[in-house]
Amino acid sequence: MLLAALCLSSLFFFRDHPHVVAVQQSAIDKVAVATGVILAPVEAWERMAAAMNSRSELQDEVLRLQQENRVLKGQSQRLAALLSENARYKALLRSAQLIDDELIAAQITAVSPDPSRHIVVIDKGLLDGVKEGQAMLGEEGLMGQVILSGDRNSRAVLITDSVHALPVQVNRSGLRAIAEGSGLIDQLLIRHLPAKSDIRVGDLLVTSGLGGRFPNGYPVARVTEVVISEGEAFALVTAEPISALDRGRHVLVLQRTVGSEAES
Amino acid sequence: MEQARSSWVIYLSLACALLFMLLPFPLEWRVLRPDIASLALFYWVLALPHRVGVTTAFFLGLGQDLIEGSPIGLSSLGLMVSVLVLQSNYQRIRQFDGVQQSLMILVLLMLSSGLEQWLRNGIEMPNLPWMGFMGLLCSAGCWLVVREILRFFRRYYEVN
Repeated sequence: MLLAALCLSSLFFFRDHPHVVAVQQSAIDKVAVATGVILAPVEAWERMAAAMNSRSELQDEVLRLQQENRVLKGQSQRLAALLSENARYKALLRSAQLIDDELIAAQITAVSPDPSRHIVVIDKGLLDGVKEGQAMLGEEGLMGQVILSGDRNSRAVLITDSVHALPVQVNRSGLRAIAEGSGLIDQLLIRHLPAKSDIRVGDLLVTSGLGGRFPNGYPVARVTEVVISEGEAFALVTAEPISALDRGRHVLVLQRTVGSEAES
Repeated sequence: MEQARSSWVIYLSLACALLFMLLPFPLEWRVLRPDIASLALFYWVLALPHRVGVTTAFFLGLGQDLIEGSPIGLSSLGLMVSVLVLQSNYQRIRQFDGVQQSLMILVLLMLSSGLEQWLRNGIEMPNLPWMGFMGLLCSAGCWLVVREILRFFRRYYEVN
């Protein structure tokens, strides 16, 4: 009876109590260590396989990566110019703050066993500067956000988790909306958009920066379907996340630092 | 004193069963992961009801919650209630043959996960998808295997 009461009280009253959260935080690290031990044979095998890669394959890959790097560098030259131009405009408009985004590279080490949620564990934590609320990016676009950090590992929720929602805007028209997770790994939903809104299949959704959680301008999803039924006030829009949420292990965590020219 | 000799086997097996939750499963197939930890708990309750009971169920549930990252106490209540049911019927269930016992375990698993869903509703967490039922079936299917393995260890180390 007592234990049952303890369960219920911890669920309904003390769920965010600092002590409870502290226990959960330390558990993240311990669980991650245990996972590491369990996966050690798999990792060792992968490393062996990588070491067996033939020399020519590696050379090919180096060549490909060098080319890719050159292209990216070229693009980023242009980006630097654009950023400074943008900063000047913002200064002209007396915009409140300039925000620099610093990136921390991390790896997804595990997926939470709870099948109703889309939660992953990444291998960077408080000691690396990863904190609750920071955005997590994949190679192509936004993936999710950090919800709890241990010292060396963190837990992050993906944007498709069915209790996750984020403010987006349509890149083409600037229309703002809320993209909710559907619980399916390849689908986001926008429910409450007036039926006459300017949104089409193929539109790119980017973060709008409203709400202050995600910085603006990061690509999130591409609209795959717009259903407008007769007599309904709202259109039902489905979109597909741009980054492959269930593939790949390398992610970036955005560390926001407010630029020095803030609050002019 | 004599009795408490091999209790480490119980706790070690439960810990190993918890570690099974950490094995990587593809995101879409996680639902089908058999719930080995609950099965191991049910086995020990069935075999040694005087040793393993509601308290163990409580701590096992805590362990599950910490591993899953769900709010603490979510899994415990369901496990505790089904262990209670099991404890009050263990003599009957011991007499069942394999299939009957698996069905009984399925019912117990449904009870515990049903309670968990009810709690999830209470704190507005997403419910399990309907495929979750398939996961319970998988778990019940693993019952006989788990039972044989744990029985071997129980006899080998003379846990009583």
